[in-house]
Amino acid sequence: MSQNGKKKALYPYYLRYVLLAALLAIEAIIATALLYPPRVGPAIDLTAPYQPRPEWYFLWIYQLLRYFPGKWAIMGTVLLPSIFVLSFVLIPFIDRGRTGRKKAITAGIILFIALAALTLIPVLTGQ
Amino acid sequence: MIRAITNLLDSWFGIKEPHRNFLARALPEKINVSYCLGGMAFTAFLISLITGLLLSIYYVPSGRDAYSSMVALHDKVWFGWGIRSIHKWSANLLIIFVLLHAVRVFVHRAYRPPRELNWMAGAIGFVLIMASGFTGYLLPWDQKAYWATVVGTSMARTVPGAGPLIETLLRGGPEVAGATLVRFYSLHVLWIPFGLMLVFWAHFHMVKRQGISGGL
Repeated sequence: MSQNGKKKALYPYYLRYVLLAALLAIEAIIATALLYPPRVGPAIDLTAPYQPRPEWYFLWIYQLLRYFPGKWAIMGTVLLPSIFVLSFVLIPFIDRGRTGRKKAITAGIILFIALAALTLIPVLTGQ
Repeated sequence: MIRAITNLLDSWFGIKEPHRNFLARALPEKINVSYCLGGMAFTAFLISLITGLLLSIYYVPSGRDAYSSMVALHDKVWFGWGIRSIHKWSANLLIIFVLLHAVRVFVHRAYRPPRELNWMAGAIGFVLIMASGFTGYLLPWDQKAYWATVVGTSMARTVPGAGPLIETLLRGGPEVAGATLVRFYSLHVLWIPFGLMLVFWAHFHMVKRQGISGGL
């Protein structure tokens, strides 16, 4: 264990906060679930294809598909998403050496801004 | 009474001593409420697991019956709409909690050795959760679900060479059809949850063994 001065035990000191946080999570889920229930959409109609909107957490890929149409599509479907995922998974290995933390923070900020922008642009433009 | 039961359980499983150590272990003084985000994510996961088990009682994973079983879930099953809503929202909040948890760990640089494998376990868990979101999206088998999966699986076709093969593997045929639904159902309720539980087990076990990082 790391040296961090005085320590308090998980039980009973911290457990109450853990349980309170779990309770808050449950309440947030039930509140949103009761306020915004999903509906059953119209049945599948193969004669009427339409452009579906994905869930908010896939909007960034949806936006990439727009930026890279035609023969460049692989950039948006495979290459950029793979780079995003790999740099996220490999953060501990980017943070190596004397300037490691700087490199990790740069990677983290680029990743955050890219994903936030690609998610917000379709949300804000309503497309 | 409770003591007698716990003593009996302890005589079978011997769980008292290790859990006493777990509960009495000291935590770094500097930790704060943001350290609860991982626990909140796990809470959301457990709720999606329980509601998913309940939904599976009524849901029929076949191209012919899936949609009508969804309609029946909403119209006939008591609080069926509510269980589905809780399932959906627990999944959405799960993603938000996991993202915030990852930001917290990143800011505190808690991915440093010896915790690099635990960061990767968490990141892989996040990818599995996204895959669960993608496969679960098809299951209502309505217009939106169908066409979203047509677009999503057709992305595989852009891979040079193996593209069409990957697309066929994802769809279980040339088009999104009943076979795709069964495939996604299997991934959503068996493969991905099983993978996630393995990842979570490793994740929590490493937290237990390595302790909580002391923060900045």
